[in-house]
Amino acid sequence: MNPKRYLRHPDLRLTALEGEGVVLHLKSRKYFSVNETGLVVLEALKEPRTFDELVAAILTEYDVSAEMATETTRGFLDHCLATAVVDEIA
Amino acid sequence: MTLPADFQVTLNVVDRVESWEDPREIFAQGEVGIRAGEPLGWVHVTWGTVPARARIDETRPLAIIEVSPQVLDQLDYFLRSFFLVTLIFLWKRARHYHMHAGTSIDSKGRGWMLIGDSCSGKSTTTALLAARGWTVSTDDIAFLTSQGDRAAVVGFRSPIALRPGGFALLGKAGGLPMTSRGKTGFWPEELGATWTQTVEPEIVVFTAVGGEHTTLTPMSSAEVLSAMLQWSIWVMFEPTAAQEHLDLLARLGRQARCYRANLAPDLFAAPGALEDFLP
Repeated sequence: MNPKRYLRHPDLRLTALEGEGVVLHLKSRKYFSVNETGLVVLEALKEPRTFDELVAAILTEYDVSAEMATETTRGFLDHCLATAVVDEIA
Repeated sequence: MTLPADFQVTLNVVDRVESWEDPREIFAQGEVGIRAGEPLGWVHVTWGTVPARARIDETRPLAIIEVSPQVLDQLDYFLRSFFLVTLIFLWKRARHYHMHAGTSIDSKGRGWMLIGDSCSGKSTTTALLAARGWTVSTDDIAFLTSQGDRAAVVGFRSPIALRPGGFALLGKAGGLPMTSRGKTGFWPEELGATWTQTVEPEIVVFTAVGGEHTTLTPMSSAEVLSAMLQWSIWVMFEPTAAQEHLDLLARLGRQARCYRANLAPDLFAAPGALEDFLP
């Protein structure tokens, strides 16, 4: 079975300032702040990615343990899925 | 502001303003209703005060406006509400993004931008700075744009409009009565300032009024981005130019030092005005 893949919502726009980001969801007309690791995940999700690919993106950018990267990515991805910022795709 | 050559606004005065079919949710900004984005693309502006509607092309600065003859009885209000909103969407299509802000240049040549709502002290402070000899662009209507690799702000030339409290603090006689708005207007030149069309902000101040002492507090990057977005709210309405608009807000945040300010009466006793309170 293929692993699940994820993609950020097409109505999403984001920009960054000194490691902090703001994400605008055009459909809901809401915006929120994201930290540096959130930005890395959302940038990666311009293309369809598996969870393991997102963890790898974090490990490429930061000198953290695989356990820490997995935990951080899982928490952020769950939040993004719950708020429809990121979709699970077939 | 000089209109770009490709701006095209058709204004028709009609006996009856019909409704356009439009399934989109209405966003109300005072008496002005705005529908934008998917699935139709074009922007639909309506006015609750007098029958009026505007249809703005999805990507080009083209608008067709229809108004009832009654608009002539409320022309000033029409221009500052319905027509201003229509213009904001037109300018957006010419890569100029509205911000509710004032702009000026201090004695050292540094560009300042004051951002905040209608009662946050922008106009009173701008009038004070004009009286101190600062160069002034606008106290209220600003358009963010790209100038090379910098973010610049183009100001809409109009009198600095003071409420009675601001007028009293300025302590200057005269001015232009703006009866319908309950304000008094001063052209920058009347206060001893020169006017400029464009300012490149180096210092951005998010203003609020209150307390006894004026303070300027540095802001974090996350605070800056959220606050800029809050005061350039039109980015949220439609996909058109949204990414460029957001990136330009971030560029402004990078090029400027940003502060949250509490403006108090002691500002009026300071020799250099706002620059005296920089941390």
